[in-house]
Amino acid sequence: MTRDRQRKQSAPIKQVGIAEYAVVTDNTVLSTSGVGSCLGIVLRDSFNDVSGLIHVMLPTAEESRDGNPAKFVDTGLPLVIEEMIEAGASKRRLEGWVVGGSEMLSFSSDGDSIGSRNIAAAKQAFEHYGIDVAGTDVGGSHGRSIRFDPASESVTIQTAKDNTTQTI
Amino acid sequence: MKVDIRELGQFNHLASEGAKQAAKSLSTLAGIEMDVDVTDVSLVTESVLAETFADRSFVGVELGLQGGLEGETVLALERERALVLQELLLDATDTDYSSKGSTIAKSSVTELGNIMIGGFIDGWANHLDTAINMTPPRYTEANGPRILPDQAIEAAKNHGVFLFESKLSGMDVDLDFSLYMLPEYRQFVQLLSGNDQGNQIPVNRLSTFEELAKEGAGNAAGQIGMMTGLDTNVDVSRLRFVPLSGVPKQVGNDQFVGVVFELTGLPSGYLVVLFDEKSAITIANAMMPGDSTEDEIGSMTEGAIKELGNIMTSGFIDGWANVLQTSIEHSPPNFVHDMGESIMSPVVGKLGQQQDYAFVIDSTIEIDGNEGQCDIYALPNERELARALSALPAQD
Repeated sequence: MTRDRQRKQSAPIKQVGIAEYAVVTDNTVLSTSGVGSCLGIVLRDSFNDVSGLIHVMLPTAEESRDGNPAKFVDTGLPLVIEEMIEAGASKRRLEGWVVGGSEMLSFSSDGDSIGSRNIAAAKQAFEHYGIDVAGTDVGGSHGRSIRFDPASESVTIQTAKDNTTQTI
Repeated sequence: MKVDIRELGQFNHLASEGAKQAAKSLSTLAGIEMDVDVTDVSLVTESVLAETFADRSFVGVELGLQGGLEGETVLALERERALVLQELLLDATDTDYSSKGSTIAKSSVTELGNIMIGGFIDGWANHLDTAINMTPPRYTEANGPRILPDQAIEAAKNHGVFLFESKLSGMDVDLDFSLYMLPEYRQFVQLLSGNDQGNQIPVNRLSTFEELAKEGAGNAAGQIGMMTGLDTNVDVSRLRFVPLSGVPKQVGNDQFVGVVFELTGLPSGYLVVLFDEKSAITIANAMMPGDSTEDEIGSMTEGAIKELGNIMTSGFIDGWANVLQTSIEHSPPNFVHDMGESIMSPVVGKLGQQQDYAFVIDSTIEIDGNEGQCDIYALPNERELARALSALPAQD
């Protein structure tokens, strides 16, 4: 009871930037903003109380010349999973949420947009690691801000259009 | 002498890591949690320094560096923020502020600056594999660019000075300050020389950066004036070298209305023109014939912003083409109305396929006095920009 009250009063918030990730083992709220064509991917093992959030920019590392592995879906997700396992998570208990991948710009030089390729890469990675999909909010042509609250195990998404908020 | 972009990226990374260490020190000492917003580096002249620090009053702690890295480091806060910091520090040390007066406050800020700058510099010594000695910290107060050391201002007059800036902002308190690092020009240029032919820019072309920033923004501001009849003035225009992932944060998460263009030619890249919502409506209404006006962002505003964006972008890249003596084209406008960080997300995504850092030309145009504002962000492909700069005929 007391613990619940404390949590409502002041759950700390961890802000995650682009091409960054964070793993927490308490009720710290994980938050990231500026998710346009990028993806915010949340992973959670509720049994062991371990949560992770990564903000990736691009689908695969191999299409880039160099870079930080946390920039890509295919190299970033394993980093989060590994750190979550080190923090006590079990790989087979992971469930995840995928948010973002919008198509905000279209240029004549484009093939498929980065947004849709990011979504496809996340789907493939979830299948590869056997992660259950707990919720998605992807596509469209608008930006999103994301907050994951481990206490309620829900992702709150804020969009600029009409300033709407939804929870998945 | 040539400067290697990768080396510049490496030093930017060191400054960014150093700023995180400095933030940690502050958290340990005073329990104040700080977030490192972004670290950028630019080669600036005296006039850019004057614009960047204009009309503000600062309190700072200054330290000289000697040995493997020579130069100056300054931790600076705007004066009113310094009072916030002093109170937080005195609370943390349980000192009675009213009885001891400002001497204690000054010495605690100086001590804090000393420790934070120490954290900031440690990583550089490791990277350079050499000792960096620090002179004793000095408490300073000044208006405008005078908060920076005299040597740095003198160097800015002569050949420009490399200015590293890391911005730190409080997570729970209204406190923000900047850590500046101004390495001694000649030694630093030596440190930046690398072997990778494809990523090098002759050092004497670095001054062209400022010309690129000024020419483009000046032309774009002129076009706004012609289309709207409103007075325009280029407030700040700088070319910064930043990690791509830090670009959206620099733009911020307010709502913006604007247009995004893809550039092709030498260099290729992206150009983003953003107005805050109120400015977009002001501009659009000024462009519309007769009495037609819009109170919200609707199709008329969209049409006007696209048209204006097109003309501004043509002016901007004409300015570049003149400086670089190349040909650059732009795509039709992509209209955007969203959170600033989200708008930049696909732009950094696209550039991120080729590079980790970006040269960002960031210009602010004041419209009709303080009535409106327009921000232009130009992000050229870094290797192509290096190639265009290297291909310029030799200067006298």
